[in-house]
Amino acid sequence: MFNLRAVTVLASVKGVLIAALALPGLAAAESPAGNPAGSEAQKILAASDAIRNPSRSFGLTTTMTEYHNGHQTDMSILQIYAKAEAGSGQYRNLIRFVGPARDVNKLMLKNGNDLWFYDPSSQASVRISPRQRLLGQAANGDVVTVNLATDYQAKLAGDEDVEDGDRVRRHCHKLALSAASASVTYDSIDMWIDAENSRPVKAKFFAASGDLLKTAYYRHYERELDVERPTETVIIDGLDHQWVTIMRYSNYAWREVPDSWLQRDYLPRFRPE
Amino acid sequence: MWPILLTLALLTSAAAGAGEQDDDAAALALSGAPVTAPAGTSPISLSIEGAQTFARVAGSEERIQRLSLDARFDEMFAPGWRGIVAERIDGSWAEGLASGQPANEEVGTLKEAYLSWQPQANLLLDAGRINARQGVALGYNPTDFFRADAVRSLVSPDPNSLRDNRLGTVMLRGEELWDSGALTVSYAPRLTAHTSRAALDPDFGATNAQGRWMLSLSEQLAPGLSPQWLVFGRDGGSPQVGVNLTAGLGSATVAYVEVSGGRSTSLLGQALQLAGGETFRSRAAAGVTYSTTYKLSLTLEYEYNGAGSGKQQWSDLRAGDGPLYGRYREYALSQQDLATRSAGFIYASWQDLMFKHLDLSAFVREDLVDHSRMEWLEFRRHWNAVDVALRWQDVQGNTTSDFGASTQRQTWQLLLDYYL
Repeated sequence: MFNLRAVTVLASVKGVLIAALALPGLAAAESPAGNPAGSEAQKILAASDAIRNPSRSFGLTTTMTEYHNGHQTDMSILQIYAKAEAGSGQYRNLIRFVGPARDVNKLMLKNGNDLWFYDPSSQASVRISPRQRLLGQAANGDVVTVNLATDYQAKLAGDEDVEDGDRVRRHCHKLALSAASASVTYDSIDMWIDAENSRPVKAKFFAASGDLLKTAYYRHYERELDVERPTETVIIDGLDHQWVTIMRYSNYAWREVPDSWLQRDYLPRFRPE
Repeated sequence: MWPILLTLALLTSAAAGAGEQDDDAAALALSGAPVTAPAGTSPISLSIEGAQTFARVAGSEERIQRLSLDARFDEMFAPGWRGIVAERIDGSWAEGLASGQPANEEVGTLKEAYLSWQPQANLLLDAGRINARQGVALGYNPTDFFRADAVRSLVSPDPNSLRDNRLGTVMLRGEELWDSGALTVSYAPRLTAHTSRAALDPDFGATNAQGRWMLSLSEQLAPGLSPQWLVFGRDGGSPQVGVNLTAGLGSATVAYVEVSGGRSTSLLGQALQLAGGETFRSRAAAGVTYSTTYKLSLTLEYEYNGAGSGKQQWSDLRAGDGPLYGRYREYALSQQDLATRSAGFIYASWQDLMFKHLDLSAFVREDLVDHSRMEWLEFRRHWNAVDVALRWQDVQGNTTSDFGASTQRQTWQLLLDYYL
C-alpha cells in the first residue's frame, strides 16, 4: 500500500513518505510530435536539458531543504541512480531515501509511468501513479530534472535580461513551453535560458488554469560529469511564496545500473554500494 | 472614473510584481543544508512509539498505555554477504479491562533475522527468518501465503500496521533475477508446533508449525505490465496458485487485482479441523487507487473469500454455539482472512491537509454479508524526527457481527513517534 507514512515521504511518503523525489528525466531530447527537431526554440531547450541531465547512466545525491518564512522546516536526502535507455535516451530511476530517519532505505522505482514504492519495514512494494509520485517534494524533483524538450513544444518569446539564482543579470532567451501530451505534470512553462551558454536560469511552472505552481532558479554552476551543471535549484511555491525548497546536488558519478535492478522484485534486494 | 480604476489596477499590478521580486530575493538569500554523504548511513534504524488509548467498552472505559521499540539492522559485512535483523517489542499497561486480557503485557516480534549471500550479480540465496510478503492489494492479500499466524502483537487494524508488525517465516530462499523478471524458490521447514507467548520468544511454532514452499515467477509482458505468478504448497494441503497484476490507467489511477485459488476445505472446516469438504476455492482482491491534484489518494477495493462463510452459514454461526462462533472468528483473525464471503474496503490518504506536514489517513471496511463496519481515521503531524498522531476507531454492527463483535466499540488513541 502506498500510505502517507510511506510518502511523507513521500508521504507516508507516505507518504509519504511519500516522498521526495528528484527524478532525473530524459537526456537525449527527442522532439514532441508536431514540433520539428530543427526548431530553434526546441534546440535551445534541448541544449538546456543536456546541461541539467548527463548523457549516460549516473548517480547523484540530492539534499532538499524546505523553508517557511525563512525558517527551516524539513530536510530530505535522496540517493539517485539513473540509467539511460538505449534508443530513447530516457532515464529509468532507482531512488533511495537516505533521510529523514523515518524514511531511511525506502525506495522508489521509476520506469516511465511504471512506478513502484518500496518500504523495507513491511517488505511491501506498492505501485503508484505518476500523480502520486508528485505528492510532496516529488514535484520539486520534476522541476529540476525532467527533460523538457521531450514533453513540451517550445516557442521563442523574445529575449530578456533577468537575475539568476546568484543575483547576477543574464541575457536570456525566454521560451514559452506548452505540453505535448496530457500526461505531463505542468500545462505550460516559461523558461529563461542564458543566451550565451544555454544554461537554464529560471523557470515558471503553470497549471492548466494558468495559476503559477512554482518558480525555480538554477544556480551555483560547477563542473560535474564533464559539464558545468547547476548544483542547486531554489524552488518557490507559486501559491505561498514563503514556502521555499532548496535542492542541492552532490556526489555525481558515472554509474552503471544493471537492468535487473530496475524491477519490482529487486527492490527488497537493493543495498547501496 | 475609468482613468482612476486603470491607475489603481496598474498600481496593484506593480505592487504585486514588486512583492514577488521581494519574495524571490528572500528565497535566493537562503542556502541549502550541508551535503550529507549517503554512503555512511548507519546500518541500524530505530523508532520508539508511545501511545495512550481510551476505549469505550460496554458500560465502561479502558485506558491502555503502550510503549513500542522497533529496531532494524541491515548490513553488508563482507562482499556478497548481508545480515538483517528486525525486532519489535511492545509493552502495554492497562486499566479497566473488561476483555479479560492480561493487564500488563510485553510482546516481542522477531520480524526478520537472516543471512543473504549473493554469489553472482543476479543470484541470491537467503537463510533465516524472512518476511516473505506477497500481494498488491491494499486491504486483503490472498497471495500473501505466509501471512497466517504471523501477527503476534496487534497494535492497530490499519493494514499498514498489520504488514509492518508481523513475524517472518524461517526459510531457505533462492532468487534469480534477469532483465525483465525474476524466479524465487522458498522452502520453510516444519520446526515446531509449540507456540509461546513469552515476551522475547521467537515463537517459531507460530510460523513454522508445518512445512511450506512457494515458487514465484515475474516476467514483463509489455511496458508497465509485469504479472507475478505463484504456486504455494504446505504439508497435508493441496497446492494453491496465485497471480498479482497491476496496471496504470492514465496519470492518476492505478488498478490492481490479486487472485489465489486451489482445492481446500472451507475456513470453518479449517478452524474446526474437519476432514473432507475439499473443493476448489478462490480468493481475490481487486481495486483502483485514484489521486487528485490536491494530494488526496482514494482506493476502492472489493475483497472475496470463497472459503469464508456465506450468508446462511454466517447467520447460523452467529445464532448458534457461542464457543464455535468464537473459535471461528479467532481462526479467521489469526489467518488474516475474511470471516465471511466478501468485504468492501475504502482507503483515503490526504497529504498536507489544511497545512503542510499534517496528513490524514482513513479507511472504512464493510462486511458485505452482515454489513457490519469498521471505521478508522488518523491525523498525523510530522516533523523531521518526530510524529504526533491522533487516531479514532469505531465499529458498527450488533455484537455477533463481523466487526461489531469487537469489545472495544470506539477508541481514541494519541501517539508519539520518535525516529532515531
